Amino acid sequence: MEDLVEIVLLAGEVLLTNGAEIQRVEETIARMGKAAGFLSAEGFATPTGLFVSFYAPDGRVYTRVRRIRAVKNNIAKIAAVNSLSRAYASGEISTDEVKEALLELTKPEAVYFWPAILASGPGCAGFALIFDGSMLDALFAGITGMLVALIGAWLSQYPIPRIASSAVGGTIVALCARLFCQFSAADMNKIILGAVMVLVPGVLMTTSLRDMLSGELVSGVSRGADALAIAVGVAAGVAVVLSVGV
Amino acid sequence: MIVLLKSLLTGFVTAASFAFIYRVPQKQVLRCGLIGAAGLFVFALTGYLGQVAAYFLAATLVALLSEITARMAREPVIVFLIPGVIPLVPGGMAYTTMLSFLQNDYPGGFEQLAVMLFAAGAIAGGITVTSSAFRALYRPRRGHAAD
Repeated sequence: MEDLVEIVLLAGEVLLTNGAEIQRVEETIARMGKAAGFLSAEGFATPTGLFVSFYAPDGRVYTRVRRIRAVKNNIAKIAAVNSLSRAYASGEISTDEVKEALLELTKPEAVYFWPAILASGPGCAGFALIFDGSMLDALFAGITGMLVALIGAWLSQYPIPRIASSAVGGTIVALCARLFCQFSAADMNKIILGAVMVLVPGVLMTTSLRDMLSGELVSGVSRGADALAIAVGVAAGVAVVLSVGV
Repeated sequence: MIVLLKSLLTGFVTAASFAFIYRVPQKQVLRCGLIGAAGLFVFALTGYLGQVAAYFLAATLVALLSEITARMAREPVIVFLIPGVIPLVPGGMAYTTMLSFLQNDYPGGFEQLAVMLFAAGAIAGGITVTSSAFRALYRPRRGHAAD
């Protein structure tokens, strides 16, 4: 039984640390707990912690708490846990196979995930165009975005609070934008606006409001606070550079 | 006309790029891009209705396409939903709001804060309405990987 508790808890932890929705985490725990032979499994997930109680048929109750710290965005892992939990619930794979697959998913990733860093270029360039920038602005925003994504990946190895790494990112964006504008007729604000999109908490803010609308109040408020901290960090980083000797 | 074409192109590029950044399974990146393009296209098309309505309609379409594609591709909905809303999401506004406050432009900051909250609320509302409708109407088959 102890072993089964660990597996279900691990599935929940992988989901939460990779940015899954609260509802999905709680449903996955209930589904896998049932499949593992518990009478019921009750999960309470928040973006910063996971609480689970398992009711065993022999009358015992197993309760576990997991603290969630660093959250990354890795949708592929969420998709993987999702299909694992469904295959397990329908009896297609054994407990050992699930455990092995989950442990595989918790292995630390490479620091530099190149597709993401390179994709930051066209991503930021596209946003510069959405904000009515010229092609030149888009080009510079793309270069800046890739640089910021690279530095962000490097910083992610160290235990730095999100607000601080956001501020560093904002500073780099503004420095690059000022540099580019020294040598060309590009619009500094468009470059900054485009390049800042890899840092800024747009999805987090929308998820926070979605959580609140569907009644997940704890998660909604904490994600909103997280989004606020990141936005303040990025804006502070940019403001410092903009205010120095215009 | 050019504005609409531009929205299709930029919507595709940003959604597909952010699909890589959020590490979506790589064979789904193309579909994410198409959903993002559709969303930003509808946003540009319905812009004359006012910002909140345009955000709501665009987000509803993105959520609808994501739910359908997720069932076809047997992936969780967020695989398509998160990259799909990226072109709409008011992240830039979150930054400009805070920048206005930091530069002591309080009236400008509060104005942008209100615009941003309504934009994010309209997007969240569109997604929530659509996904609740799917949840209520759709009975999952056994072993089906989407939800």
